Amino acid sequence: MPFVAATRSLGRAGLFSLSVLRASTPTRDFFAELVREIYKIGARSLPIIAVGGAFVGLSVTLLGYRALETYGASNQISALVGLGLYRELAPVLTALLFIGRAGSSIAAELGLMRATDQITALGLMAIDPVAKAVAPRFWAALISVPLLTALFCSLAISASYFEAVHVIGIEAGSFWQVLKDAVDFRHDFCVAFVKAAVFGGTAALVASYVGYHAEPTIEGTSVATTRAVVNASLLVLMFNFVLSAFLFQG
Amino acid sequence: MSVRGPRLEFAVGAFLLLALASLLVLALASTNGKFGFGQATYPLTARFTNLGQLRPNAPVKIGGVTIGNVAAIQLDPVKLDAVVTLAIDDRYQDLPADTSAGILTGGLLGESYIGLQPGGDPEPLKPGEEIAFTTPAVDLIQMVGKYMFGGGKPAADSGEQDSGDATGADATVPPSPTE
Repeated sequence: MPFVAATRSLGRAGLFSLSVLRASTPTRDFFAELVREIYKIGARSLPIIAVGGAFVGLSVTLLGYRALETYGASNQISALVGLGLYRELAPVLTALLFIGRAGSSIAAELGLMRATDQITALGLMAIDPVAKAVAPRFWAALISVPLLTALFCSLAISASYFEAVHVIGIEAGSFWQVLKDAVDFRHDFCVAFVKAAVFGGTAALVASYVGYHAEPTIEGTSVATTRAVVNASLLVLMFNFVLSAFLFQG
Repeated sequence: MSVRGPRLEFAVGAFLLLALASLLVLALASTNGKFGFGQATYPLTARFTNLGQLRPNAPVKIGGVTIGNVAAIQLDPVKLDAVVTLAIDDRYQDLPADTSAGILTGGLLGESYIGLQPGGDPEPLKPGEEIAFTTPAVDLIQMVGKYMFGGGKPAADSGEQDSGDATGADATVPPSPTE
């Protein structure tokens, strides 16, 4: 029965997530692995996040300007860009770009470790494979995604400033002042990074679960990679709606 | 692909520094800076018959300088007018007791804020006291309607219109029930 099977696999995923949290012990090896993972999935995602952020900022500015010009409110463009970025676009787009780049690599690495029996070997040596392979990736993602979101936002706002002030002709002072008046520190700015942390953790858990439990064949690894990206992206979009509904009540 | 030892740590450190620096710059340059570390304020209340577009956290200004914000908006179930609680910064103590409060708009499409006009009473308003003199928000569409369909009457016709104070007379007319 597909419903029973789906519920069981959801339960397995939940238990896996719990075991990842339990296996996270702050030893020296753990920190060495953590630093390596932050480099691989965080620092090396920088180019795609930066370029993506810049172009999203440019597009939203142009689109928003055309819409606001009708009402003569074109100097509110920075409020539109700032609020749209912090509330929705930055956490979601950063998470989706991250899933595409780092989520697929996590799933592929773990799938390959499973296919080449490295996970079994770790188990035979009485090393918890979840603690050694999965937990550093989870915490690296939890740390990296909010930081990548910050870089996404800063590039998007800089690109928006460039477009609005130097191309469209909005006054520079009013650009920053309208932006500062519109964005609330706690309800917009901090919420963006809470969302980003949730999305990063979700992406890492989904990718790790799918990779860790992949079929130990080449086909299994490739299936795991695509499943990781699809499932993680869908979960991020669903959680985005849930978080927005709860957090933005004003 | 994998970088060893010191170079790896340098790369990760540089990434973290860059990201944290951009976080700090964003927080300072693109938000309203209300970090909310429990700024000391004292409350005052004011009653209005019409709030217009006033929302919680709207600024309270004297002569254009922000001295506080709107903490809460409630409807009095007995008198059926809006009771607004203002949180005034502790630095601005001793507002005169005959201060008047009005709901003003920053520009045509701007947000509503409360503007206080201090009077000359030597008695100060104590924390928690109510501001006695209030002016409700002006509804632009209503005003336009009044001038279009009922304006241009000479001052002698209706005794209540003063020669130079048309806005004041309009403000005392109660709002229509269609709002």
